[in-house]
Amino acid sequence: MSVQSEPAVRVHGLTRVYQADGEPVRALAGVGATFHRGTFTAIMGPSGSGKSTLLQAAAGLDRPTEGSVWIGGTELSTLSETKLTELRRGRIGFVFQAFNLIGALTVEENILLPLKLAGARPDRQWISAVVDRVGLGQRLRHRPAALSGGQQQRVAIARALAARPEVIFCDEPTGALDTNTAAEVLILLRGIVDEHGQTVVMVTHDPVAASYADRVMVLADGHIVHDMPQPGAARIAEHLAALGRRPADPAGATR
Amino acid sequence: MTALAARMLRHRPGSSIATLLALALGALILTAMGTLIESGLRYTPEPVRYAAADLVVARPDTTFVSREFGDTHTSTVALPEGTVPVALTGKILGVDGVAGIAVDDDITVTGADGGPVTARGWGSAVLTPYQLVSGKAPAGDRQVVVNSGVAPLGGPVDLVVGGTLRTYTVSGLVDGPRVAFFSDAHAAAVNPRSGTVTAIGVLAAPGTDVAALQTRIQKIAGKDVAVLTGAQSGVAERSADRSAATLLVQVGASFGGYVIMLIVFVVAATIGLSVRHRRRDLALVRAVAATPGQVRRMIMAESALVGVIAAALGVPAGLAAAHWLTGELTGRGFLPEGFPMLPGAVAAPAAAATIVISAVLAGLLAARRVTGIRPAEALGEAAVEPGTAGKVRLISGLIALVAAGATAAAAVSGSGQTALGAALGMLYLFVLAVGLLAPWINTAAARLLAGPLRAIFGASGYLAAANLRANARGTATVLTCLVLAVGFGGSVWFLQNNLERQAVAQSRDGLLATRALVPADGLSDAAIAAVRAVPGVRAATPVRHTSVVLPLMGDGEVFGARAVDPAGLDQTLDLGVTSGDLAALGDGTMAISETQASTFGWELGQNVPVRLGDGTPLELRVVAVYRNGLAFGDIVLPRTAVLGHTGTGLDDEILVSAPPSADAALAEVAAEHRATVVDSAALTGGLARDLALSAWLNRLLIAVMVGYTAVAAANTMVMAALARRRELAVLRLTGVTSRQVKRMINAEQLGLLGTAVLLGGVIAALTLSSVVRALTGSFVPYVPPLGYVTVLGGTAVLALATTILPVARLLRVPPIEHMGIKE
Repeated sequence: MSVQSEPAVRVHGLTRVYQADGEPVRALAGVGATFHRGTFTAIMGPSGSGKSTLLQAAAGLDRPTEGSVWIGGTELSTLSETKLTELRRGRIGFVFQAFNLIGALTVEENILLPLKLAGARPDRQWISAVVDRVGLGQRLRHRPAALSGGQQQRVAIARALAARPEVIFCDEPTGALDTNTAAEVLILLRGIVDEHGQTVVMVTHDPVAASYADRVMVLADGHIVHDMPQPGAARIAEHLAALGRRPADPAGATR
Repeated sequence: MTALAARMLRHRPGSSIATLLALALGALILTAMGTLIESGLRYTPEPVRYAAADLVVARPDTTFVSREFGDTHTSTVALPEGTVPVALTGKILGVDGVAGIAVDDDITVTGADGGPVTARGWGSAVLTPYQLVSGKAPAGDRQVVVNSGVAPLGGPVDLVVGGTLRTYTVSGLVDGPRVAFFSDAHAAAVNPRSGTVTAIGVLAAPGTDVAALQTRIQKIAGKDVAVLTGAQSGVAERSADRSAATLLVQVGASFGGYVIMLIVFVVAATIGLSVRHRRRDLALVRAVAATPGQVRRMIMAESALVGVIAAALGVPAGLAAAHWLTGELTGRGFLPEGFPMLPGAVAAPAAAATIVISAVLAGLLAARRVTGIRPAEALGEAAVEPGTAGKVRLISGLIALVAAGATAAAAVSGSGQTALGAALGMLYLFVLAVGLLAPWINTAAARLLAGPLRAIFGASGYLAAANLRANARGTATVLTCLVLAVGFGGSVWFLQNNLERQAVAQSRDGLLATRALVPADGLSDAAIAAVRAVPGVRAATPVRHTSVVLPLMGDGEVFGARAVDPAGLDQTLDLGVTSGDLAALGDGTMAISETQASTFGWELGQNVPVRLGDGTPLELRVVAVYRNGLAFGDIVLPRTAVLGHTGTGLDDEILVSAPPSADAALAEVAAEHRATVVDSAALTGGLARDLALSAWLNRLLIAVMVGYTAVAAANTMVMAALARRRELAVLRLTGVTSRQVKRMINAEQLGLLGTAVLLGGVIAALTLSSVVRALTGSFVPYVPPLGYVTVLGGTAVLALATTILPVARLLRVPPIEHMGIKE
């Protein structure tokens, strides 16, 4: 098996059960999926469908009740919390909806934080390339509070890229942004996939955001209900709308 | 990690100000206490009086040896006025290598100015040494050598010796510390001690090995006395300084110990709160890169940094506080004038180190929470703290509660020191139990109060009860601090009131004498005879205040004692005898207060070992046990037992039972003996003043402690109030009016602080009533009306200043400004 053919992320039989008010809730019910290198996948689904849980489990932020997760060739379930953190800071990048940055640190320090915590020497050339790529060259000494929402998200993307991870996970990266700023951020994500062969997995509920991806995966009630190559925003919206009507037809709920 | 911690701190100083304040105040208190301990521990009396002696034979302390389970335990106590037998001089003179000896009679006389002067035989002048500046050595019983400037050579000097005014002629003048030298024979004649002197100074023959000589003299002198070199001889001079040094160490160590525990607790709470408020930041750091260990180290680094800053602020303030405290202690007689206080060269760095270590320790405790922060929380919208406090905490809390209950039973059923010890243990255990069980207590209180709060405050009360329940864990610190403050403060502070009140009551009831003669220096036998000769006087009882050393659990402990003349005692003093009879108080007997009798386990008719203030061991039979120990002392001896064993040989007061018609004659006698006649009310008033003075130190310490816990509670409450802006904004946006929010906050404060004051009050009342019962037999403690006002008013001020006002400020800003997505 060549390195090229090994997928960036693979999940198998993923089940996650929460206790809520003493009642077990199945957020994921045996999900399996493979994310190849150099691809941009959007995970969609209504609230409570398990899309965030899938992302957290795949990113090693949360441990599944059952099933396994591979990042490259590493299986996560056997790793200690410390090993898991070390894997996260070296091989996984994150972009969250908000509160991505540490307010006490400058833009540059935020970008270098994972490397610093890992005790690694940053690759200056790569970092400046990343900073140029996200277009923040002029703002390195600023505090996050001085930046707009879109700029903050770009800093988060730069941080995610800094360690040259195998995959970047994004959780609603445009959820708090206006349409124009959101488009800028999505174009940036698309760009790093196309130009650097980066792998991106993004959770979103916005069909327009999903239309930037190569592949759209739709979850409902802890199952993957659609897995389609980029179908366009209109078709995605149709699929989601169809999901929204499903409660009227409980027989087909898990199909 | 430290750099990151420093950046986080600088960015959000607010969350650390509470910690800084708690640590800086702690540093202040610890530095002050450390200075006391340092001064006490490193106190070495400078030799002055015996500086020129090669060796000094004296009895500065007494040793108790006890055997327990085969182990020999020795305990040494400083004697108030230790002496050695004069008979030793002959033996010492015979020792090889002794060139000469000089005895120091060390008699306290009163000078012309009314102040005390040490009088000694001229032979002891070489021990200092004093040299004649002019004139010659005193001879006969009418000549004296004094310091230059007191009187001219050949002039007359008035001295009160043994209660009698005598006029001497100055035969010579010396330079040096204030002194009066008599001829050796006259000094021996006026020495009130029988056959003993304060010290024997030894001059070695030239070329003698002083260490070997010391061993030889020790051998013949016996193990009861100490043979000191000239350099060590300071301990034989200033027994007041030595007991002051012990007091400093005791006060500093016991109080400093509490304060360290308090600091760790309070600081762990404030750091814990700041961790909780930064949960999302920490979760983010965890998600993107940091291992749990790194985050813990970051929090510890942060605490250490705050600790260093706090030490820099608090330690200098502590040194200033120590300086102030020294002045107050000296002014109130806890420290002798001129006691050498050290500047705190060791205490200051030690306090700084303790503060930093406590901060790191507290950080470590708080950082344990970090393990509970899941990195996935960084993704969530709201940072909600999950779960409740741990099982271990619940179980330890229940164990503490059960133990407290058991100790309470012991405190109520026991007596004497046992009951006192149990009461104190109960206090600690109850406070500990409340501290551990605080989250559950808060939850239970919130449930119980839901109904009443709703009935009083309506919808606001309903919200308040819900908040109290939800924040049960966050407000645990506030509950604990307030219970600690009210529980400790209430018991220890009001205990002083109870003691004073009870002592005054005992004195009022027990004092049958109508008048008392109170002297400027002391009253001689002649004065007693003169009083008894006054027509109409039914009884006159001379009372001498002295101290005895008693063996308590293998250690020697100094107790105040009164030596009285038993003749006519039944007409001047009612000690409230519960068993036995004071009429039997004769040679070889003693009476003891109920409290101490049960502490020592001594019973009527038992022979007990007692050492007098000069170290003389006696075996005395207990002939009476009495109630009024608080007012009249715990030990009463017949006056004959101490004759020849006290420094002045004079009495401290004469209680007189006489009709008013005798007043004029009594006043005449009093004037003749430099005394004044006071009535019994004045005597009782003097007792109350003395008690208030000695309670001052306890009161000061407890006030500092209560103040510290109150500041800690206030800290936590302000932090909590300011962290609620978002929650309050949500409430207002959902249609709760500002007024309703304010009412809700008031209701919450009433619930939380009410619970704390109630619990603290119950604990204080329990402790107080068991202590008061052990001391006085009455179950109902006295609390001054102002006490209630202070506790309730203080709590109200606390609530107002730390929560109600900050929240009111938050409410003045339109709610939408607090709703932003930015923190």
